[in-house]
Amino acid sequence: MSDQGYRPAGQPGRAEAGRGAGPAGPPSLDQNFDAGSLYALRAAVAAHAAAAGLSPQRVYDVVVTAHELAANSVVHGPGHGRLRLWAGDGFLYCQVSDDGPAEPEPAVTGNAAETGNAAGAGDAAGAGMPWHAEHGHGLWVVGQVADKVSVDHGRAGTTVTASFGITPS
Amino acid sequence: MTADASTQVTELTADDHACLTFGEAEELFDLTAAFVRDGLAAGLKVMWLSDAGPGIAVKELTRRGIAVEPAMAAGQLAADGCEGRLLSGQAFSADAAVGWLSGQVAASREQGFRGLRIAVDMGWALRPVTGVEELPRFEEGIAAALAGTTASVLCQYDRERFDPVTLASVAGFHTRSVAAATYYADAVLRICRQYAPPGVRIAGELDYQAEEPLARALAEAVRLEGDLVVNMEGLAFIDARCTLMIADAARTMAASARMVTLRCPPEVASGFVRLGMAGVPGVRLVTADE
Repeated sequence: MSDQGYRPAGQPGRAEAGRGAGPAGPPSLDQNFDAGSLYALRAAVAAHAAAAGLSPQRVYDVVVTAHELAANSVVHGPGHGRLRLWAGDGFLYCQVSDDGPAEPEPAVTGNAAETGNAAGAGDAAGAGMPWHAEHGHGLWVVGQVADKVSVDHGRAGTTVTASFGITPS
Repeated sequence: MTADASTQVTELTADDHACLTFGEAEELFDLTAAFVRDGLAAGLKVMWLSDAGPGIAVKELTRRGIAVEPAMAAGQLAADGCEGRLLSGQAFSADAAVGWLSGQVAASREQGFRGLRIAVDMGWALRPVTGVEELPRFEEGIAAALAGTTASVLCQYDRERFDPVTLASVAGFHTRSVAAATYYADAVLRICRQYAPPGVRIAGELDYQAEEPLARALAEAVRLEGDLVVNMEGLAFIDARCTLMIADAARTMAASARMVTLRCPPEVASGFVRLGMAGVPGVRLVTADE
């Protein structure tokens, strides 16, 4: 699967609809989180993703992604982090960063890691995917539902950015 | 009332006068369905008096797998409002209500039933009904009316709407207190046992922080006999970890020749599909698309 379907050509107006000014623009949501605020974080992400024009299923996928990335920072990272959400170029970007040490994390193993993934494939469990693995399972799901995922292990911490195509309605 | 839920609704016996407390309509319907199901199976006459009215009662019981129509046609099951039975012209008299109950006990015996089960939704007592102050005397009278009979009464109190003083004043007259086994409950999540059909019900938002109560609920469900339902219709969010736990439990049960039904909204279902659950023999993934 490719992410072509989520990259509508000639859609300059999409950034406007997404309330953002592109990948480098100001985020429409910028929120710190810890273990006690994941519920509030999900609610905020759901509201902003819906406002960006995503379908209910895609809104849910963004919420799942935000939660799994944040939970990863809470459970396997420093216990807290920062989430930013913005729209631009026909995509909704969900970025989670923390200032934790770059502990070796399981790779994002989904299709999105390399080629982009349009729909969250249901054929993975039978194909020997590591879904039974505890640590890393959340990231596997992110790789499945997001169109693209990039991970940056810097000296200042870890930043994961997942993007979701905004299909024209 | 501090309802120590030491008794499960499935453990009630003849001449019990039980006090059931519930927190939401779904729980009331579930526990009532189990009460009705077990009564019908034991050959008892079963009545449910509620504000919901016969229409909703029939719908909710049918939805939970009870063969309502044939039981009603055979005169074994009745679902009615309280007016004309416990109440007369929106007025309540403890003596008249106990008299009505005794009449029903005698009538069921004459009709040839082995006993009688009556569930009474006490929601009427929250309205400005004349004589409602006689409620404790009614509860006391029930105990006397049931003594030596094969009739049992399940009084149903909404614990969110009845004040603690009222609940405490009637609690002592009951032989048992009944409530749904609850593994976890807070403002955003509820995990409890489901009785009809048997299984687990999860509502709200579920993530890894509720892993322990979820594990307990699933472990207990595995120990129940027969087919099983994990009712997630009221689940707005589930994380990867908990999706995996439920999928694993379902695979385990299905492997021992038990049918497992995962009932959930489409978004929640997508997580199970991702794990290949749509193709596991013995597992039914039902999307509640209401």
